[in-house]
Amino acid sequence: MTDPISRGLLPEGFRDRLAPRAAAADRLVRTLCDRITAHGYDLVQPPLAEFEDSLIGRLSDGGAQDLLRVIDPVSQRTLAIRSDITPQAGRIAATRLAHRPRPLRLSYAGPVLSVRPPQVGAERERMQIGAELIGHDSVAAAGEILTVALEALTAAGCADLSVDLTLPSLVEELAEADWPVDNLDAVRAALDGKDHASLIAAGGAAYAPLIEAAGPAASAIPALRAAGMGAAFDRRLDAAEALTARASGLARVTVDPTERRGFEFQTWLGFSLFAGGIASEIGRGGTYIVRHPGGAEEPAIGFSLYIDGLVQAGLGRRKTRRIFLPHGTDAGVGTALRADGWVTVAALSGSDDAEANACTHIWTGEPAAL
Amino acid sequence: MTDTLIFAIPKGRILKEALPLLARAGIEPDADFHDPASRALQFGTNVPGLSLIRVRAFDAATFVAHGAADFGIVGSDVIDEFGYEALYAPVDLKIGGCRLSVAEPKALAEDDDPRSWSHVRVATKYPNITSRHFAARGVQAECVKLNGAMELAPRLGLTNRIVDLVSSGQTLKENGLVEVEVIADVSSRLIVSRPSFKRKAEVMTDWLARFREAVDA
Repeated sequence: MTDPISRGLLPEGFRDRLAPRAAAADRLVRTLCDRITAHGYDLVQPPLAEFEDSLIGRLSDGGAQDLLRVIDPVSQRTLAIRSDITPQAGRIAATRLAHRPRPLRLSYAGPVLSVRPPQVGAERERMQIGAELIGHDSVAAAGEILTVALEALTAAGCADLSVDLTLPSLVEELAEADWPVDNLDAVRAALDGKDHASLIAAGGAAYAPLIEAAGPAASAIPALRAAGMGAAFDRRLDAAEALTARASGLARVTVDPTERRGFEFQTWLGFSLFAGGIASEIGRGGTYIVRHPGGAEEPAIGFSLYIDGLVQAGLGRRKTRRIFLPHGTDAGVGTALRADGWVTVAALSGSDDAEANACTHIWTGEPAAL
Repeated sequence: MTDTLIFAIPKGRILKEALPLLARAGIEPDADFHDPASRALQFGTNVPGLSLIRVRAFDAATFVAHGAADFGIVGSDVIDEFGYEALYAPVDLKIGGCRLSVAEPKALAEDDDPRSWSHVRVATKYPNITSRHFAARGVQAECVKLNGAMELAPRLGLTNRIVDLVSSGQTLKENGLVEVEVIADVSSRLIVSRPSFKRKAEVMTDWLARFREAVDA
């Protein structure tokens, strides 16, 4: 009888990350954080777990179902492990930093946990890195957030970036204005799947041009203008056009007016980020509302990146020169080599050898390649 | 980035109707696609960079939802069963029409009162759709997952009811079953992987337009 747990079996969706991927992940986190903080986004470190109530009020319904909960033996209240750091940044902005002038720029990096594995992929623990700009959700704020995200991803080695802009509140507002429907839920479900046949069946034929318009910004924006949604919505297209111009030096831009999945918490703007060679989305963001304890509301915009796809794609790796110092090598040699960027592995006894320590070089009075 | 594209096409029921549609959209598979002796799994086409994979219908949806294939064809039954968020179904191809129905033995149907059910036992290839359908009216469905020959289940006492695709109803009749309820009308859809739709937007929107035209032709 062998017990699988004694052999290191981990729960579904969790993994050990070893060399060289652990180092790559660490390097990616540092690169992304450096680029984000360089734009004035102060790093904050919220805790791994909070009172459930504090997280739930700031998450979408789906997010609330994703929380792993435990009863805190100390307070006898329900604690939850965060599934997203964004609401924690919002909480900090609305409480401890409520007195600070706006806009407030915050950044963060840390692991998050979901109870349910995603439909595609299996990870339940992910590393989230992000930035939040609190106090503004203007086109200028959106332009800054998009630029910061794309610059950081480029620095991390992502190539062939693309941004998909979406207008999360559009359908609901259109339904309240000039495009009424009997069953909004059915129409939205059909739009989520871009399911033309179900959309017609749900009585949402008016919305079909919005599915067909989705695509490259250069063709999507004119097609949406032609759809005749009304002047109030034209302003949103102007914004999409301005953001396209701002982002197009760093990424290809597509526009998808009806995308809502994962944007339940967003207001007028949402976006998803993709990179060449990585099959799934690598990050997302958008505008949202931060709620203050007194009930006041504040506009905000931000983005989150998840590095697991980047690590999987082999980004963040660096070739290291790793040199073996035979037993008895003078300590000063190692100090000088490390100062010069070498990784040194010192023999503990005469029987240690370079190969077993995965070294690329050996010290023979000078570095000699193996 | 090279815009190589993979199109997933299901074996079986839909394939014969799908090929003329693909041809109208401008896709002609290489000759070995039609060779029954060929053991190849991936086939070239007349379109440079576009290849076809021929897989089971459920697998076609899985390949596309994971982004391993960019687009493909599956029935709306498969789309509903999986409920993949990373899958779009933008074009109704208006082929492969049938319905997903509940069927039970004739004798049972005659003196059954659905209002009193709290629990049913159902043999099906569609456990998600089936549980959702019955749950919506407060009935718990215990699903026995089968991959084919559903009609045998009531006859051999495995379950009383089945949920399966019905087109003519002939198979049901031959097995002494009657269709008691239609859960959904089914037709084949062009499906597109969400990441492909975003990352390869130019070429994907072009293909969508071609398939829309092919359906209307």
